[in-house]
Amino acid sequence: MKTIGKRIAASAVAAMLVGAALPTAASAEVLKFVSWQKDEKGVGDWWASVIKEWEAKHPGSTIEWTKVERSAYADTMTTLFAGGTPPDIVHLASFEFQAFANNGWLEDLGPWVEKAGLNLDGWSGQEICKFQDTTVCIMMLYYGTIFGYNEEILKQAGVAVPKTYAEFLAAAKATTKDLNGDGIVDQFGTGHETKGGGGQYIAEMASYLFDAGARFTNAEGEVTIDTPEMVEGLTRWKTIVKENLTPRDLSAGEVRKLFADGKIALKVDGPWIYSIMQQGAAKDKLKLASVPFDPPLGGSSNVLAMPSEIPDEKKQLVWDFIAIATSDKFQTSFATLAASTPPSPRADLTEAKAQIPHFNLMVESQKAAAEHKIDRIPVGLEVQFNEFSKMIQEEAQRMIIEDLDPAAVAKTMQEKAAALQ
Amino acid sequence: MSLRFLDLARPSRQHWLGYLLLLPAVALVALIIVYPLFVSLDLSFQKIGMATLNAPRKPFTLDNYHKLFTSPDFWNACWVTIKLVVVVSAACFVVGLGTALLVNNRFKGRTLARLFVALPWAVPEVIAVVIFAWIFDSSFGLMNWLFIKLGVTSQMINWFSEPTAAFWVVAITMIWKGYPFVSIMTLAGLQSIPEDFYNAAKVDGASALQRFRYITIPVLMPVLGVTLVLVILWVFRDFSIIKVLTDGGPLKATQTLSIMTYDQAFGFFNMGYASAIGIVTLILCVVASLLMLGRKSQAMY
Repeated sequence: MKTIGKRIAASAVAAMLVGAALPTAASAEVLKFVSWQKDEKGVGDWWASVIKEWEAKHPGSTIEWTKVERSAYADTMTTLFAGGTPPDIVHLASFEFQAFANNGWLEDLGPWVEKAGLNLDGWSGQEICKFQDTTVCIMMLYYGTIFGYNEEILKQAGVAVPKTYAEFLAAAKATTKDLNGDGIVDQFGTGHETKGGGGQYIAEMASYLFDAGARFTNAEGEVTIDTPEMVEGLTRWKTIVKENLTPRDLSAGEVRKLFADGKIALKVDGPWIYSIMQQGAAKDKLKLASVPFDPPLGGSSNVLAMPSEIPDEKKQLVWDFIAIATSDKFQTSFATLAASTPPSPRADLTEAKAQIPHFNLMVESQKAAAEHKIDRIPVGLEVQFNEFSKMIQEEAQRMIIEDLDPAAVAKTMQEKAAALQ
Repeated sequence: MSLRFLDLARPSRQHWLGYLLLLPAVALVALIIVYPLFVSLDLSFQKIGMATLNAPRKPFTLDNYHKLFTSPDFWNACWVTIKLVVVVSAACFVVGLGTALLVNNRFKGRTLARLFVALPWAVPEVIAVVIFAWIFDSSFGLMNWLFIKLGVTSQMINWFSEPTAAFWVVAITMIWKGYPFVSIMTLAGLQSIPEDFYNAAKVDGASALQRFRYITIPVLMPVLGVTLVLVILWVFRDFSIIKVLTDGGPLKATQTLSIMTYDQAFGFFNMGYASAIGIVTLILCVVASLLMLGRKSQAMY
């Protein structure tokens, strides 16, 4: 009798425990989100606000947000996917997601977009997310470049704010100076990273190439490097680097710092240059204007995606996250928090324009670049982009080091790019 | 019966305890070294872009090795690796041996001198690389400033944009980082040489050079042999110094086998091809180690 009683009591306790645990187990989920932007002022705060909203809408569930350095990001994501443990919310740079999609690791978001009724018409850079006729990602940032200049340096050199490439070159030459006569250049006309990887190298060259009318490929993805426009673009790049109008062998961050501290006169860069300018020693002398290149360089930056091999219930939760990030409300807050142009055409930019004086410049630049379908990632070379950009970097370096004719270099690039496809 | 079988105290079972205690270490080594090695070997015989552990195996092929041995980039990487191995190992030995002999003497400030000799070894590799990157900075670096002030050159040297200059920057950084290891190992070897040897030689009228030639070097040979192998292997597989300083450039002037492996695997996502480079590198390292260990380390005996 005593034993039966104990058994009944134990069963009741067990039933209660199971009963209490079941709803929690069914609803409480932990989504893994890996990003390199976690500690980035502005954009990091925006991601945090998206996470907060998602967690408020899914009580008991959490998002485990981990930072991985940008330099180690592709390696880490490759390893996670290869080992079968990808993060649930996939955040990738726009120049690396193609390799993941090509391996079948990314979910086709087309049906999700359709089911949710998400209108991506006019969404800047979204066409880049189309991979082999499927939508494998949502573009999170497509930016147009802005133009920073040091008003004092230009005045001292007696040159006006450049509005064309010819004026830009003249101003860069006039402001590159050895100020104390020790044989070392102390002040540069402009600044480019020439040390980093191929993707960045192409981005640094791109303004000169696009302004000259050059394109790496046409709309059909055929390689179009061996053209007079490309020869002109490469000649411009060679002039800038060979004549030391830019400091050599510095990282992008170091070049931006030099500009912010008043050691560089002219700088074409993404929207993030504004916050770097605000922290520099030459803060009061730095101004912004329209980019003296037509069309301005545009760049897709990063995308959100979903792994194809996670359970369906998790996919729904990941989509909920994407839905929040792409909502009008959060696209609007992206503009103010990240101080950057959101990809959504429906974002209300009134507050951002009121807060950020140069916001219109960024919007116009983004619009112009998007209209011209400008991107450093050429159509038809998306999967091979890393190999392609490395090849372009090496051939451009060879042109400068060995003082080669840009026409011959364009021919070599054409042959090598065609062989990659 | 079964209990007696497991009685490890029995003389005939005593060696089992040794195996039992080694088992966790062996399992760990198998898991983190042997298994990935086999995976890598297997991948090198498949034409594969991005690898997935649970994906079905692709057909066996020798394409990766064929592509490798016909690739000018591979032979260039071999040449750069060999050049670095020779230059860095030789310089590390000269500087390491010299500093070890110096701080082995009794003089005022010897402890401080020993500290300075060993300091580069204690500095984390990435920090050392950043220091050298700034020293050799093409626009604002100390080295260009010094060269111009001393009249060595009239214009700035683009240390990381000129193939020869970039190679030497990498080599100098590696030498600075690597020589203390030789120094420490040699110093340990020097201190194990009995003073009587030198006293006896002095009585026999041997000069300092003769004492060095006929006592120091032969006694140090086993230490130097092992150290040489370790330095060669370190240079062979070093990745971070080159990656941070030059990323293998410009124009592949500093692209070693390890940088090429990384680029192919994580830059271009050619895992099969990268595995083939890795396997060839492994074979080269094993051959070099066998040759060195077989000769130098046993020279004295």
